[in-house]
Amino acid sequence: MTISSLVRLPGMGALVSLIGVVAFYVIFGGVDVVTLGGAASWMNFAANLGIVAIPVGMLMIAGEIDISVGAMIPAGSMTVAVVSGYYGFPIVVGMLAALTLGVIVGTINGILTNRTTVPSLIITLGTLVAMQGVILTAAKLLTGEASVAITAPDWAKTIFGQLITASHQIIILWWIAFALVLGFFMHQTRVGNWIFAMGGDRVSARNAGIPVAKLTIGLFILSSCAAAFVGVCQAILFNSAQVSGGMGIIFNAIVSVVVGGVLLTGGFGSVFGIFIGTLTFAVVNQGIYFTQIDRNWSNLIIGIMLLLAVGMNETFRKLALSAGRKPTIAR
Amino acid sequence: MTASATPTRASSGALGRLARRPEAGTLLGTLVVYTFFATLGGATFIGAPGWSSFLNMAAEIGIIALPIGLLMIAGELDISVGAVLPAASLTVAIISGHYDLPTWIGILGGLAVGLAIGFINGLLVTRTTIPSLIITIGTMFGTMGLTLGLTVLIAGSTGVFMTPDALPKAALGTFLGGMYQVTIFWWAGFIALVFYALHIAPWGNWIFALGGDRESARNAGIPTARVTIALYMFSGFAAAFVGVAQVITFGSAQVAAGQAFIFNAIMCVVIGGVLLTGGAGSVIGIVFGTLTFAIVNQGIFFSGLDPNFGSIIIGALLLIAVMSNDTFRRLALSAAAKK
Repeated sequence: MTISSLVRLPGMGALVSLIGVVAFYVIFGGVDVVTLGGAASWMNFAANLGIVAIPVGMLMIAGEIDISVGAMIPAGSMTVAVVSGYYGFPIVVGMLAALTLGVIVGTINGILTNRTTVPSLIITLGTLVAMQGVILTAAKLLTGEASVAITAPDWAKTIFGQLITASHQIIILWWIAFALVLGFFMHQTRVGNWIFAMGGDRVSARNAGIPVAKLTIGLFILSSCAAAFVGVCQAILFNSAQVSGGMGIIFNAIVSVVVGGVLLTGGFGSVFGIFIGTLTFAVVNQGIYFTQIDRNWSNLIIGIMLLLAVGMNETFRKLALSAGRKPTIAR
Repeated sequence: MTASATPTRASSGALGRLARRPEAGTLLGTLVVYTFFATLGGATFIGAPGWSSFLNMAAEIGIIALPIGLLMIAGELDISVGAVLPAASLTVAIISGHYDLPTWIGILGGLAVGLAIGFINGLLVTRTTIPSLIITIGTMFGTMGLTLGLTVLIAGSTGVFMTPDALPKAALGTFLGGMYQVTIFWWAGFIALVFYALHIAPWGNWIFALGGDRESARNAGIPTARVTIALYMFSGFAAAFVGVAQVITFGSAQVAAGQAFIFNAIMCVVIGGVLLTGGAGSVIGIVFGTLTFAIVNQGIFFSGLDPNFGSIIIGALLLIAVMSNDTFRRLALSAAAKK
């Protein structure tokens, strides 16, 4: 791979952002890179965010957006806690219930997106609020409390909720596995190619015989289930359902994906880029505790980084598109 | 074509005309929701306590929802309002509380912050090809960070207190009759202004044209960049205005306030029938959408139901709005086509 083709990769902007942020922290914040590299806080943060960010990014590549994930994390964690914790069913049943809920919400999002002309941002805003209400009301009606305890069996704890070396959550490994599988799916299979085609031009994609409606529903199911999965892992790790929280992840996921070089209007991006984008976001957000910079400034850094990264990605994209065009002109 | 925005002219019968207006469904929703909570909440909700609680809430969200609605009609979003609001109230509190300058200087400062952030948003949206969602998320994070960092740097804490002068207090921060906030009247003023701008003034049509087809709008000679920047400055100003009114009313400003306004304002607009599909919507719809949202949000506390149940109602209303959008649109367009 030559340097010029490397520069044109969709994840390149994210990589430059990551290096820039770490360099900024080292030069102006006095960060010890070895300490930062070994720290668990930003990796745990990145993994919990990243499992959601990858399918959200795939949806963006397909030209859609899903903000209902903000409700699906607490929904997943509450479902597994109510089913397996409160009612005492085996943990497998609870996990399946959480994932089923993800399938249902994803299907609703997908069908409404296909059947109406309303942008998916508005549709998933509706399911976001509705699910928040449903899950909290249901939990209170069924259990009488807003927080539900759950004790997972040892094997489930080992797989989904253990701490490696006392501080790294095992979800980090799940994140890497997710990234590898979905990266292969997006970039090496036919269906992955279809998703890019959909985001580039939905009508042409359908005319070319791509089942865009089915793919849209599938992608929404994937993002809802990924969020529910993160919720399940959190419930198993912390032995209780985390009801609040989850709203912040909406903006965090979008920022990670966009810093990762995905074009919000669809048709351009990569799973590798999203992975690096998430890492960058996590380093900014959690790494600031390792610097001498007052942590109150972290949001300012995120805002500036987002706008810089997006600007940079625009430039890289222009390079990529111009390089793609040359052979056809020559012909 | 702006015919889709004013579909009523070419239809027959008053009832058919009413049903085709985009806000008809919203009005129905408001009535249903009010009746529902009036039945459950009884005399307290129908009386002054109920009305003041939902009108106070509607006024604050409504002032922000109006410009958000205009932006959505023009096909754009503004997420940054959630950060502008606390930024403006802290500016007032720092200028007039921490530095003890006259209140009106603080108010001007707060409003200027809103206008400035709106200007930056508008400039970035018109000068780049980046979607406004991303740009305003960026400015939201940036403003949040600046507000927090500067407040701690200057005042040494995340909350700042102030005692407003008598005149600004009377104009922006009093409770009429002991419970109705004066912002309700400001909201009415904003409604009249925006109604004039969108539906009566000649350039109201520009906003619809912008959302319908930006390219054609520019080719038709509409100064699209200037209109977009003006709309963003208006939404920044409105968010700052609510922030200023809050700090004058309560005498203190908090860094963390305002986040809830982002999605709440969008939800009011969506319930009001503006669905980001561009080129369609009305001020009356947005106003009733805001009222519906506030009635559900406050009515739930009078009803004896679990407060979280309110979210289910809001979510259902949003999804109904989404599902009926295309039906209304088809009705409106078919009526216009008959001509």
